[in-house]
Amino acid sequence: MKKVLQVILVLTFTAAISGFVLSSVNNWAKPLIEENRIKAISQAIFLVQSEGKRYEKLNFNEMDVFEVFDENDQSIGYAVVHQGNGFQGTIKLIFGINKDLNKITAIEILEQVETPGLGSLITEDNFKNRFKNLNTQPLIQVVKGKKPSHDNEVQAITGATISSKAVVRIVNEAAEKLKKLNGIKK
Amino acid sequence: MELIIIFISAALINNFVLSYFLGICPFIGVSSKISSAVSMGLAVIFVMTITAIVSWLINNLILIPYHLEFLTIPSFILVIASLVQFVEMVIKKVSSAIYRALGIFLPLITTNCAILGLALFAQMREYTLIESVIFALGAGSGFTLALVIMAGIREELELANVPEPFQGAPITLIVAGLLALTFMGFAGII
Amino acid sequence: MKKQENLFYEFLKGLWEINPTFKQILGMCPTLAVTVSAINGLAMGLATTFVLIFSSVIISSIRKIVPNQVRIATYILIISTFVTIVDLVMKAKFPELSKALGPFIPLIVVNCIILGRAEAFASKNNVVRSFLDALGNGTGFLLALLALGSIRELLGTRSIFGFQILLDGFSTWMVMILPAGGFLTLGLLLGSANAYTNWKKRKSKKEILITNSILR
Repeated sequence: MKKVLQVILVLTFTAAISGFVLSSVNNWAKPLIEENRIKAISQAIFLVQSEGKRYEKLNFNEMDVFEVFDENDQSIGYAVVHQGNGFQGTIKLIFGINKDLNKITAIEILEQVETPGLGSLITEDNFKNRFKNLNTQPLIQVVKGKKPSHDNEVQAITGATISSKAVVRIVNEAAEKLKKLNGIKK
Repeated sequence: MELIIIFISAALINNFVLSYFLGICPFIGVSSKISSAVSMGLAVIFVMTITAIVSWLINNLILIPYHLEFLTIPSFILVIASLVQFVEMVIKKVSSAIYRALGIFLPLITTNCAILGLALFAQMREYTLIESVIFALGAGSGFTLALVIMAGIREELELANVPEPFQGAPITLIVAGLLALTFMGFAGII
Repeated sequence: MKKQENLFYEFLKGLWEINPTFKQILGMCPTLAVTVSAINGLAMGLATTFVLIFSSVIISSIRKIVPNQVRIATYILIISTFVTIVDLVMKAKFPELSKALGPFIPLIVVNCIILGRAEAFASKNNVVRSFLDALGNGTGFLLALLALGSIRELLGTRSIFGFQILLDGFSTWMVMILPAGGFLTLGLLLGSANAYTNWKKRKSKKEILITNSILR
């Protein structure tokens, strides 16, 4: 009987102290973690919408869309977060799009696990800059081995066609979704 | 369709052992014979699948609704420890030969990072119950596959002239490196 | 004097003689996964050492009152508490590092080194010795991670800790950053460690033989 009591006591005591310690640390950490998260999102949003000074999260369940406002509190467009299958895993990115939903302002890659040295080059400015002022209507197209000849074309990274195509596919998908959602909102 | 992608991704493209480095200890320890590799693999698949279900339940019925996410690590690991204890008892009763073959590595499944890793990944990616189960089956199969291939190679290595300093863990790791290189070929098939 | 020497040994043995990575071959998972760069290796080493020290000390101090049947469960509870603390603190104060190390911080709880030292040492020795043992093993682990991380970062990106060391002319060995490179490097390092140990053993055996033949 004594042994069983000892077992129960030790386990309960340990669990109780552990629970207490953890919830205290958690209470301290939670606001800091939330702060970090908001900082990361703001940073990303203002990277793709450089004129933006304030943003508002729109109420769409399927996608994270933020409306961005400039210093005069005029809406200058949106920032959209979307993800999809890359070559080696999921690519998560954010891009800015203008109010009329037909021109990309810029893109930023948030998460990727593509091949280092090849697919991972999608995070380089060299590739990201190709999306500045890109037309989304008609849909963005990928060209290989030559310079783009139309406003909606992006040149793929040499040796990383699939990763490049994945990025374009994700942006197109999100832009189309946004057009549909915006239609519902109006 | 999504489910097939999750399965193939976990088994081949992002193989738990060769891409995520989970489950290395049993990988080095149990892979010297094909028969023990298969037994270990099956035990892991079983534990992984049940763990996926139970951890999903705990996560979605207790942790999230009551804002207790910070208790994830203790709750998950206690579930895994109990499950492994249970599996150990079952195997002992069903086949003492397998029990002896697996030896110390059976209780060590608890510290197999692949199991806890699986539960954490499923939680991080917010998989549904079905997705978690498929994920577990894929990850377990991938683990078994890597383990069995490694065992096959090591059985051949027994007959080869490995320099003394490299016998055992070092040569296993080098072979694993070559295996990891070959598995990279699976990238991009989905 | 003897007791002090003895205590220092408890710390020292963890650095090489029973080095968790090179001798005990424990904790392989994080060793391979986070050593893509020196700083990641360092961070993981520090986090693991922190958990190791606190767990060992607590476990050692309650070793006499924990019933045998529940000792593993109790140890796991204690270890997972400290791991959660490290995880929360890192997420709050070092978010980039936390993201880089990913799930491997929570995975410290299944790092065989911690449970291994608890079972093998802390549960049977007093607090001071357990502390030194934990400090030694943790430092040994950290040094191994640092070595592996530096090699892979140097050959894979020409830099260590972000500071470029090799000249631009050096073609980076991309494989070092990939899982394959991790396996290969660790395998070669382990093999070299074994070779060194064997060489030392043979050398001292030779010395003993020579000394014996001189004495005869």
